[in-house]
Amino acid sequence: MTPAAPVPPAPGTGGALAWRSPAARSAAKYRAIFATQLAQTAAYPADVAARSLSIVVFMWVFIHLWRATYEAAGQSQVAGLTLAQTLWYLVLAETIVLSKPRPAAAIAEAVKDGSIAYQLNKPYSFLLYHFSVGLGDSLVRMVGNLVAGGALVWWVAGPPPDPRGWPLVLVAMTLAWAIDFGMVALIGLLGFVTEEVAAFEWIYSKVLFLFGGLLIPLDFFPDGLRTVAERLPFAYTLYGPARLFVTPDVDRFAHLVTGQLLWLALVGGLAAAAYRAGVRRLTINGG
Amino acid sequence: MLRRELRFLTALWKANLQAAMEYRAAFVAQVVGMMLNNAVYFAIWVVFFDRFGQVRGWQLGDMVLLFAVTATGFGLAAVGFGNVLAMADVIAGGGLDYYLTLPRPVLVHVLASRSRYGGLGDVCYGVLTFALLADAGPSAFARFALGSVLSMVVFVAFMVLVQSLAFWMGSASQLSAQSVNALLTFALYPISLFDGTAKFLLFTILPAAFVGSVPAALVRDFTWPAFAQLAGAAFALLALALVVFHRGLRRYESGSAVRVQV
Repeated sequence: MTPAAPVPPAPGTGGALAWRSPAARSAAKYRAIFATQLAQTAAYPADVAARSLSIVVFMWVFIHLWRATYEAAGQSQVAGLTLAQTLWYLVLAETIVLSKPRPAAAIAEAVKDGSIAYQLNKPYSFLLYHFSVGLGDSLVRMVGNLVAGGALVWWVAGPPPDPRGWPLVLVAMTLAWAIDFGMVALIGLLGFVTEEVAAFEWIYSKVLFLFGGLLIPLDFFPDGLRTVAERLPFAYTLYGPARLFVTPDVDRFAHLVTGQLLWLALVGGLAAAAYRAGVRRLTINGG
Repeated sequence: MLRRELRFLTALWKANLQAAMEYRAAFVAQVVGMMLNNAVYFAIWVVFFDRFGQVRGWQLGDMVLLFAVTATGFGLAAVGFGNVLAMADVIAGGGLDYYLTLPRPVLVHVLASRSRYGGLGDVCYGVLTFALLADAGPSAFARFALGSVLSMVVFVAFMVLVQSLAFWMGSASQLSAQSVNALLTFALYPISLFDGTAKFLLFTILPAAFVGSVPAALVRDFTWPAFAQLAGAAFALLALALVVFHRGLRRYESGSAVRVQV
């Protein structure tokens, strides 16, 4: 006898056991993982505040550097950006970097010590699980970093850019973290073939700083280098969202999100393929 | 006495190196990776000075020197005294028990019992860029070695001071991480950017000027007063760190955790 296939209940007859599509159930699962991590990180506000001290240090240095630079240039605008816009740009770029999920070490460690075995038999995707956890952590840290860094820059350079653009920036930041997650997950998955991934992560982070425009907005780059940098995924991770923050604009947003989705599809696809290939190579001894 | 301790220190470094050689690929990846990491990071300054020429009298050549000295000083600390970046955890986790039972100076033993070979990449990067870009002769190399060693002493002393707070605070890991971050961040920027209170802080509470700009200035133009200032600051800070560590050690308590030291 073959068991009957589950029949979706009629609309409105649901309850705790209401039928939901596999995609909806899957989304609910990762939403729950995300919410759990969000609550866990938010439960330690002193820790979040302590971690936010870094952005104050960085912004304090940047304020001195860029004030001196604008003074030396003798102009109120450089490459279309005022000093205040440059500083707000840097607040957002730093916030993205300091709040982003950092899964590489955790993934590599799970591969090396074999604890990945405990996650492989769970009813979730290993990569999406780590992304959901990282995103929950990132959103709380983002608030701490934005408040701490923003307060300092507001005090020195005046109010932040138009708040009507902030929801667009939040969407762009989430996609930026997703692209970065894909890149860093690829590095973490190198743990399947190398003993140590820290060196790859260091280099990736500095390439992101340079071509993402973390310390210098891409607007200040020489034309040729800027053209190349603007097409790379790093610009869609840092420069795009930070530039959108200082000059919010629907066209800029549409262009940015389109690019982000394309890069996300490519990087996410590569990470998923690397994960499947890695699991096939996995050998776990003992227990 | 001193010779005996130096032999002990050398033996620790040798043991650390032998342990690292068990994972040669990881060792090479860390050294080469750190050199590339520094090179890409420095490229940001190349772009900056290409656009702006100079800031408060600092040009690209000055930044080459600043990066070379700071990277070498930090790298020497990471290789020679790698636990300086994790000592707060050792204290808070009761890890000093092992060192206290042995007839050797506790602080030196803790600090040197771990080497971080990414730091060797920093040293190689610093020496190579100095040799290639700073147009250096033999006397400049001697000044470079002196400046880098004094930078290392300041870094190690300051971190011992901060990490020793774990004796009073219990956990000082977060504070230590933030301190390393802040010290290196400020050390890698021209001191002329800062004035007034900011400059005072960078010479006292957070002595980043003595890790970066002051040793770099000594390498560029050696003068005895400048040397006396840097050496005096380095050894005063080291003396303070030793006093604070040993005061803290009297308060040290550990639990009953059983651990294996390998």
